[in-house]
Amino acid sequence: MFIKNTWYVACTEAELEALGSQPLGRTICNERMVFFKGPDGQVAAVEDFCPHRGAPLSLGKVCEGKLVCGYHGLEMGCEGRVVHMPGQRVRGFPAVKAYAVAQRYGFVWVWPGDQSKADQAQLPRFEFFDNPAWAYGGGLYHVKADYRLMIDNLMDLTHETYVHANSIGQPEIDETPCTTSVEGDQVILQRHMTGIQAPPFWQMAMSANGLDPQAKVDRWQICRFTPPSHIMIDVGVALTGHGGFDAPPEHKAYSVVVDFITPETETSHWYHWGMARQFKPHDAELTLKIREGQGKIFNEDMEMLQLQQANITRWPERKLLMLNIDSGGVQSRRIIDRFLAKEQSSETTA
Amino acid sequence: MSTSDPTQTPIHADGSFEVHLQKSGQTLKVDPAQSILSVLQAAGHEVPFSCSQGVCGTCLTPVIAGKPDHWDMFLTPEEQEANSQMLICCSRSQTARLVLDL
Repeated sequence: MFIKNTWYVACTEAELEALGSQPLGRTICNERMVFFKGPDGQVAAVEDFCPHRGAPLSLGKVCEGKLVCGYHGLEMGCEGRVVHMPGQRVRGFPAVKAYAVAQRYGFVWVWPGDQSKADQAQLPRFEFFDNPAWAYGGGLYHVKADYRLMIDNLMDLTHETYVHANSIGQPEIDETPCTTSVEGDQVILQRHMTGIQAPPFWQMAMSANGLDPQAKVDRWQICRFTPPSHIMIDVGVALTGHGGFDAPPEHKAYSVVVDFITPETETSHWYHWGMARQFKPHDAELTLKIREGQGKIFNEDMEMLQLQQANITRWPERKLLMLNIDSGGVQSRRIIDRFLAKEQSSETTA
Repeated sequence: MSTSDPTQTPIHADGSFEVHLQKSGQTLKVDPAQSILSVLQAAGHEVPFSCSQGVCGTCLTPVIAGKPDHWDMFLTPEEQEANSQMLICCSRSQTARLVLDL
């Protein structure tokens, strides 16, 4: 079960561009969808199912804004209705489900649930996109694990000490207690470390920002979960004694880890990760360098999560422990469950 | 023409009608739960068909007399109004008898 009456990141506009005249087939919340650019250049999404013989439309080609099935040439329009097929009258052909799609911040967002409830006003907004004061770089991983395992991972950063020992991990994370708070539908987990040595990734960031990488710093991690499964993490270091998170920009290296987690099936998800930073936003080389570093770090998470999922699948009857460090994930799952229950009850009363 | 011409009189109250096949001279009864196509098949006639739901047009058949009750999504409204052809998989009759060019 997934929250379906909401916006998820389906793909990036760049992914679609790179495919040229190929459509993009992608399963989101167990719904098989195909994304393509319609006649006006706007992205459309319909069920990945040809109403003729059931072929995946994603194997076809996009021609003048229509999705042409790769089996017998049926032409599907953006609204899920067949617009043409050689040698046929298509008036009575059954339609397929069309999904509401929005394009914002270079991402294609999709609403998998009740289309009559799709609401552009509910698209999330972020100050760091389309903002010249910020730079953004990111990537996409297909992770063979329950999307909630990724939420657990991001809402408990003590794993950094072990999974990311060579980049962002350091023992002070373990030693500094974290606090979890719930504000409405948002879960905030934070940890503030003071007077420590910056780990390798942050030493690099300090150098890039003109700070002495060997200087003692205050380091923070503020993880914010919002439904359905977006997690933004304020991360950074400031020269110690300048106010930590609130230090003036010249004393810190600061960024936001961006995580859009899109469920695919019960045991797999699409992980759109990235980093928005406020220092040296025009340095494209630095953006690439950070992206490469972050990609390596998040690949370590992916390996752990996939093997964790395999183990959980192997022992489905085993209960897992929820410790004090897991409270961010526990609270996030509680909000997900609340939204799921709300959606279920509105479906049964509808 | 007398009003007893079954191609000019309305369909029976129970919804049944008869189909007369001009070429073979055979007359078959179509009950409310049957389609013309299924009656023809049961009587051993091999007629072209495919979707069986009024979409594809494979079973398009010329109508010689009587007035079809069009249920298909294949013919245009104008073609349906002309009443000179019908899809026998789903369309029915408004008159007690249809004469088909079969």
